Amino acid sequence: MAVQLHPMESILKRNNVNVIGNGEQVMLFAHGFGCDQRSWQFIVDAFTEDYRVVLFDYVGSGKSDLSQYSSAKYGKLEGYAQDILDVCEALSLRDVIFVGHSVSAMIGALAAVREPRYFKKLVFIGPSPRYLNDEGYTGGFERTDLESLFEFMDSNYLGWSSTMAPVIMGNADRPELGSFLTNSFCATDPEVAREFARVTFFSDNRADLAKLTIESLTLQCEEDVIAPLAVGEYVNAHTPNNELVILKATGHCPHISEPGETIKAIKAFL
Amino acid sequence: MNREIAKELLTHVIDPEVLYHQAPCGYLTFTPDGTIIRINQTLLNWLDHTEEEVLYEKKFGDFLSKGGQIHYEMFFRPMLNVSGSVKELSYELKTKHGAFFHVLFGAVAIKNDQGHVIAVNAILTDNTDRKHYEKELLVARNQAEKDKRNMQFLADLTPDLIWTTTPDGEIDYINARFANYFQVAGRKFTQEQFLERIHDDDRAGFKTAWAEKLKCGEPFSYDLRLKNHNGEYRWHLVKSVPHYTDDREILKWFGSCTDINDHKLALTKKDEFISVASHELKTPLTTLMGILQVLDRIKSKPATPMLSEFIDRANKNAKKINSLVGELLNVGQLTAGQLRINKEWFNLYQLIDNCCQYVRTEDVFEIDVKGDQELQVLADAGRIEQVLINYINNAVKYAPNSGLLTISFKVHNEEIMVSVTDNGPGIPAEKIPHLFDRFYRIDSGGSQYAGLGLGLYICAEIVKKHGGRFGVNSELGKGSSFWFTLPIKEL
Repeated sequence: MAVQLHPMESILKRNNVNVIGNGEQVMLFAHGFGCDQRSWQFIVDAFTEDYRVVLFDYVGSGKSDLSQYSSAKYGKLEGYAQDILDVCEALSLRDVIFVGHSVSAMIGALAAVREPRYFKKLVFIGPSPRYLNDEGYTGGFERTDLESLFEFMDSNYLGWSSTMAPVIMGNADRPELGSFLTNSFCATDPEVAREFARVTFFSDNRADLAKLTIESLTLQCEEDVIAPLAVGEYVNAHTPNNELVILKATGHCPHISEPGETIKAIKAFL
Repeated sequence: MNREIAKELLTHVIDPEVLYHQAPCGYLTFTPDGTIIRINQTLLNWLDHTEEEVLYEKKFGDFLSKGGQIHYEMFFRPMLNVSGSVKELSYELKTKHGAFFHVLFGAVAIKNDQGHVIAVNAILTDNTDRKHYEKELLVARNQAEKDKRNMQFLADLTPDLIWTTTPDGEIDYINARFANYFQVAGRKFTQEQFLERIHDDDRAGFKTAWAEKLKCGEPFSYDLRLKNHNGEYRWHLVKSVPHYTDDREILKWFGSCTDINDHKLALTKKDEFISVASHELKTPLTTLMGILQVLDRIKSKPATPMLSEFIDRANKNAKKINSLVGELLNVGQLTAGQLRINKEWFNLYQLIDNCCQYVRTEDVFEIDVKGDQELQVLADAGRIEQVLINYINNAVKYAPNSGLLTISFKVHNEEIMVSVTDNGPGIPAEKIPHLFDRFYRIDSGGSQYAGLGLGLYICAEIVKKHGGRFGVNSELGKGSSFWFTLPIKEL
C-alpha cells in the first residue's frame, strides 16, 4: 500500500521545496521559465544570513514531481500561481518577500492579487505582463517570433544529443536518452517546457497589475531582448506602489550574469 | 615514415595561427554581453563578413534569428553561467546577405577568480547537411508511424480475429476484435487461455493438429468452436501461416479466426435436408418398385382385376416423385436466381377454382372461394397457381380436421390480397417467423409430415418476384390464414 503523505509534506515534495538561512523574515524565490531553483545560486548566499530563504521548483520543472503535472492545470499561469500559494500554505508563511524572475514576476503578482495576506513585498526581475506587441503596446515580440522560438525549442531543448535523438527514435523505450535531461541544468521535461513556453509567451496580465496592493520593485536590465525597457516602464506605470530600478546588466538574467548589482538593488528596496 | 621527417613536417604544418583560422570549424570568442572579440576565418567565410565588420562591432545575438535570441537569453546564458559549458546546441546563423545556415554550437565560459564569466569561447560546426538528414529521418519516422497506425487500424477493424505467435506458438499479438471477442484486458492472451476457450469436443484434435504444424512449419487450418465472453460457442475457421526469415527460420506465425458459424449451421441444415429429401424420394420409389414387381409377375394375366388399381398407384407414386423433383429443381433455380416470371392476364377466380378441384374430389374439405369473379390480374398464372396449391396443401396437411377452407381475395390499398384460411389448430407464435425459411419443416407435436420443407420458401420467392408481400396470421385453437399480395401498380 502506498504511504499517504501529509498534505503539507506532499506539497514540499511535489515542488522540491528547500528552506535555508537563519533569519525570521521569509524570502520566497520563484524561478523563471526554462530554469529551476538552481538559477538563484549566485545570489541566495547574500540573503541567508538575515533571511529564511525558501526555494522551490514549479511542477514540471527541476526536481519537482513530474507526475503531478497536468496540462489542464498548468495550461494557465493561475496554475503556477497556485503552486506558490500551496507552498506558502504548506509552510504557514505570512508577510513573505517574494522574488520572481521573468514569468514568475507575473505568477507572483497573480498569487498576490488572489491572497494578499501571504505577501509583504514583491520583487520582479525582468517582468513582462504581455510579450506580444499589441495596439499601443510594445511587448517586444510578434507572433511569428514566438513561433520561431517554439520551433527552435522543439529541435533544440538542451542540445542535439538529448533532443533530436529521442525525437527521431521515439524515446519511449530508451530512457537512458531522457536521463540526460535530469542531469542538466534547467531540468524540465521537453513537453512541459513547450507548454510552459506557450503559456508564458501568450499570456496577457496587463489588467492584473492595477489590482496589486502589495508594494513592489521592478528590476529592469538596460538591454533585454525578452523584456525590453518599454515593458519595464509599462509595469512601473500601471502598478500601484511600484519602484523601477534600471540595472546596467544586460540580458534577461541579471541575477545570474550580474549577481552583485542585483543583490544590491534588492537589498536597497528591502 | 621516418620519425625525424615527420617531426620536421609537423613544424611546418603546425602554425597555431593558421590552424585557428583555417580550421574546418568556426571559432568565436565573445564577452558576457555577446560582443565578439575574436573570430576565425572559417566562420567569417560562412557569415560572408570581414573581420573588420564583426570584431567589437557585432554581438553573437546579431547573427541569430529572433527565436534563437530568446533561446540564447533564456537558456544559453543561464546554462553557461551555471554549468560553465554548453554542448551541441543547434543554432541557425544569419549571413550578411540574410541567408541562414545551421551550426552545432558548443561553448565554454572563461571565469575570473570570483567565478564571474569574463568571456565565452565557442566552437561552431556547420551541420546544414546533418540538419537535412535529420529532417529526412523525421519525415521517415512520421511516415513509419502513420503506416503503423494505418496497419493497426486495418488489423483492428478487419472482421476476423487476428493474432501472431512466436515460433513455438506463444501468442504475442492479438487485434482489437480478438480482445473484444474474448473480453481480455490489456490485449494479453496466452496459448493456455486460448485452449480453454475451445469447445471440449474440438480441443484435443486442435492441439494435436497445431502441434504437428508447429513442428513441420506448414500452413494450418482447422474448424472449431470458440466460446465468446457471453459463454456462447461459435464456429470459427482457424488459419495460420508461418513467416520465414531469409535463412528459412520461422520468425512468426500469422493467424486468423474467421467466424463461420452461420455457414456451418447452413451446411448442417443442408445435410439434414439431403437426408430428408433422400428419405422422401425413397418412400414413393420403393412403393413404385414394389408395384412394378407385382406388375411384372402378373403381366401374363392382363385380365387381373387389380391391374388398373396397381397402375393407378404406380402413377400416384411417380407423380409424387415428379413433384418432389420439381420442388428440388425450383429451389435450385431460386438459389441460382433464375426464377423466371412470365406475366399474362388471367381471371383470378377461375384460377383459384381450378386449384380447388382436386381437393374437392377427395371430399374431405369444403372450399369456399370469395371474391370478384370478373377480376383480371397480370401475373405468372402458373407460379401463382403453385403458390395457391402450396397454401391449400399445407392447410390440408396441417389442419386435416378443419372441415372448411376459405379462399378469399380482394383489392385493398393498391394491392390484391389473397388468403387461404383454415379452422385448424393454429401455429405457435414462435414458429411463425421461420415458416417461410428454406428447409423449414414444422414439427407439430411429434408427428412427421411428408415434404421437403421447401414449399413456403418457394411461395415466398415467387411472391417476392412479383413485388408482393406474404405472411401468416394464426391463432392457436382457432386457425391460420396464409396470405399473399400482388401489387396493382404492376398490373
